[in-house]
Amino acid sequence: MKKLALGLYVLVTVALLGWAYYQAVYVAPLDAMQGEISRIFYYHVPHGMLFFLFFAISLIGSVGYLATRHNHADRAQMFDAWALAGAEVGVVYCTVILVTGPLWGRRAWGMWWTWDARLTTTLVLWLIYVSYLLLRRFAAGSEMQTLAAVLNIFGAIDAPIVYMSNRWFRTQHPAPVFGGGPDSGLKDPAMLAAWGWNIAAWLAWGLLILALRYRVERKQQKIAAEEAEFALNS
Amino acid sequence: MKKLATGLVVAVPVALFCLACYFVFSAPPEPPFDWRLHMSQADHDAIVATLNHLFTRAAYTVTWAIQLGYVAWLFVRWQSQKRSATN
Repeated sequence: MKKLALGLYVLVTVALLGWAYYQAVYVAPLDAMQGEISRIFYYHVPHGMLFFLFFAISLIGSVGYLATRHNHADRAQMFDAWALAGAEVGVVYCTVILVTGPLWGRRAWGMWWTWDARLTTTLVLWLIYVSYLLLRRFAAGSEMQTLAAVLNIFGAIDAPIVYMSNRWFRTQHPAPVFGGGPDSGLKDPAMLAAWGWNIAAWLAWGLLILALRYRVERKQQKIAAEEAEFALNS
Repeated sequence: MKKLATGLVVAVPVALFCLACYFVFSAPPEPPFDWRLHMSQADHDAIVATLNHLFTRAAYTVTWAIQLGYVAWLFVRWQSQKRSATN
């Protein structure tokens, strides 16, 4: 039954991704000023919106781990697995942002990169979470989990700064498309539909890989616990 | 059979990444600042349209390369877990 549900979910996600691609490339009209290069936004912006969600899941996981590590060992491990899965998927989405953004910038601004507030804070956020993942990769034991959780909580402080950076500061990065004041938002319904489909598709994809990563990590925790028990008994 | 599946899962994102690089590096040079002295408006627009097309393709392709690369890494990790569980 579980396998059937997973198979159905994967099918729906793949169909959504195909439909969203079709909407972005063949249905949505071209931006009058930018031409075809504006189509990058249909992939760039959904990733930008969703990495906040995955880093938030990671933050909740880390807070949960710190709150439960002394009293509920198994629940703490579960929270830790969510923290790791959220951070990894968030880094993947953030990487997409940091790669597709310069491709657009090269054509729109004539340069790959500029040290404006939005770009710099996003790069810092990516570096913090990469260092979180490196800490988890190269250290071991419960101390590592505690240190990683604390780093995650401090790193998450940068997320609202990234979100507000092009509202607080005058930046080269375009103004927010949604929630950026009375003039923000898309006026063309076909463009709006393409954005909506792409956000839904990449959300479905992200939740799928998040769940898979969580399962792999839980299995890893069980293998590590069994190995530790075996080493104690032998 | 398992090795073939693993190879394919890893090869697809690598191939996509190479394709994205090809799109960017095979793009024609951008029109110079004083392009009006060297070419007509139609030639300029054709170069800009080609560049925009290639960079958009590159952005879509590299997105899939990153996403499928992560899935490939998960797949390899899951395979090694299965192997260590049977050992």
